[in-house]
Amino acid sequence: MTPLLEVEDLVVEMRRHGVAFRAVDGVSFALERGGALAIVGESGCGKSLTLRAVMGLLPSGGRLSSGRVVVDGVALPVEARGRGRGHRQHRRMSIVFQDALSALSPVATVGNQIAEAPRHVLGLGRAESRERAIELLRLVGIPDPERRYHAYPHELSGGTRQRVMIAIALSSEPAILLCDEPTTALDVTIQTQILALLAELRRERGLSLVFVTHDLGVVSQVAENVAVMYTGRFVETGPTAEVLAAPRHPYTSGLLAAAPDVDRPEHEPVAIPGSLPDPLALPAGCRFHPRCRFATAECLTTDVRLQPVGPGRQSACLHSDVLAAAQAAVGHD
Amino acid sequence: MTEALIEVEGLSVTFRSEHGHALRAVDDVTLEIAEGEVVGLVGESGCGKTTLASCIAGRLAPSTGVVRFDGRELEVSRTVEDRRAIQMVFQDPYSSLNPRMTVRHVLSELLKVHRLVPRSGIEARCRELMALVGLPTSALDGLPSQFSGGQRQRIAIARALTVEPRVIIADEPVSALDVSVQATILKLFEDLRSRLGLTVVFISHNLAVVRHLSDRVAVMYLGRIVEQGDREAVFGDPRHPYTRALLAAAPRLHQVELVRAVVKGEPPSPIDIPTGCPFHPRCPRSEEICTRQRPALAQAGACPRHLAACHFRDETASRAEP
Repeated sequence: MTPLLEVEDLVVEMRRHGVAFRAVDGVSFALERGGALAIVGESGCGKSLTLRAVMGLLPSGGRLSSGRVVVDGVALPVEARGRGRGHRQHRRMSIVFQDALSALSPVATVGNQIAEAPRHVLGLGRAESRERAIELLRLVGIPDPERRYHAYPHELSGGTRQRVMIAIALSSEPAILLCDEPTTALDVTIQTQILALLAELRRERGLSLVFVTHDLGVVSQVAENVAVMYTGRFVETGPTAEVLAAPRHPYTSGLLAAAPDVDRPEHEPVAIPGSLPDPLALPAGCRFHPRCRFATAECLTTDVRLQPVGPGRQSACLHSDVLAAAQAAVGHD
Repeated sequence: MTEALIEVEGLSVTFRSEHGHALRAVDDVTLEIAEGEVVGLVGESGCGKTTLASCIAGRLAPSTGVVRFDGRELEVSRTVEDRRAIQMVFQDPYSSLNPRMTVRHVLSELLKVHRLVPRSGIEARCRELMALVGLPTSALDGLPSQFSGGQRQRIAIARALTVEPRVIIADEPVSALDVSVQATILKLFEDLRSRLGLTVVFISHNLAVVRHLSDRVAVMYLGRIVEQGDREAVFGDPRHPYTRALLAAAPRLHQVELVRAVVKGEPPSPIDIPTGCPFHPRCPRSEEICTRQRPALAQAGACPRHLAACHFRDETASRAEP
């Protein structure tokens, strides 16, 4: 069976100080029906742009210079600006942003915003659209939906606004939900509630998920597959549990070691040396080599791409076996 | 127990909302902080942790209650010495640094104004401060925009250290930083504490960070401290259901299964605080008594300094969460 979503060799160019650079540099992935993929990386790695390019919502200044997005076997027409919605396959996808307050219209009630797609995209009548909106408000766990239908976004808390965003995303009956750090601005108790809601939507509606986050701690809760992104490229992909337990790229293991662990206060977090490289002056060879303790002379010149390193796993590291051996020797931390 | 360096007693802050409602941001908080101690202040947005910190730093006048420093009650309008003694570091080092001033300019200005070193010693002191926060001397010539987030936070810390404070209040100092550099800033706080004997109040919503860094922890909810005590007492044997909920919801790398959302709903509005225990509408352990009687902060568990504001504070986690 073909995957529900296939993304092939996506390249997004952005400009800074008049100079073009590849903010997303050859990203490919496939999402099975009902599956979930988390894309994790630090600020500026291109994870949000990847999502926006798939959705056809690149910001101005962004240019999709190559790549294919195939939904359910049908390739989306890709135009250079990476914008261009309206193709019926686009409607199979919806996106949820981090900052619901700026993504929602401040001058329309949340009910009207949710009813818009049922009315104008699905072609339902006025009363039916309204019914659908109330149903969706209930589905995303908003109490008293008939009353909340008439609320404006500013009257709602951050968690409720994010639920409204999800209701809007679901209103066009998508098969795929693209989530761009949807819980980053929320408190942890609310974050847990939203993650539980997404899990429920997957379970009960068979929704597929691409979830972008900077927080490795939420990955294991949302997706069974993970892609770790660095300077516009995936550097490691594989099943979440395996990647987090035994990473095969030094950047992944660096990220894992950098975060303090709430259950183990004695764990000393270790920062990754150096800082993220300037996208206009990327290091030659492996882009991670200046920060990598496994780097050898070969890494300075070889442009390393993802290679299979086990069943369902890929790593863009020449020394992924050395890393695996090092973990086996000390017991992974 | 050592003598407290900072004593907060019965401190409340009430704001007036634009509609004339009284908003109690901090409600009757009592807290002692010993010299050289790192106290973590945890809680979700709007719980009053920043407001409390602002009162301690003298940036905001409390509505009632006092702040004592070194045994002296601090006036609302503080002397320069008292203001120097307690410094704040903020979450966003970009907006808290003047974009047009070089680092040298920022630091030397402070050294001059406060006459901390003779003019001839300013350059040497600037270099010393850079070394203290782990930046090269060349950083003195840079503008804030030329630095990465982590470096900027080091500059903000250097600026706070310029006036030789005894206490640093750090308000979410690593929350805006990428994970790969957070650890360096946490390490810096540890270094400063051991090398300079600094007292640190560390505010964060991130429990992992607080557990790693703090000696003692206070958990806030709706303006009140609901649990406080030594780090391991609070995190190892939490006695307030809210602390347990926060711990359960903390992101973890190796989550076996999806976390159950332990806590229902969202924090109520601080202008309409529930009767009885303010946490009862969301609490999985709530009973009838919780709706009418507000539990006081009282001894819980085995450790004498471990306090919790819950009617069922004598129960351990396993009993409360079957």
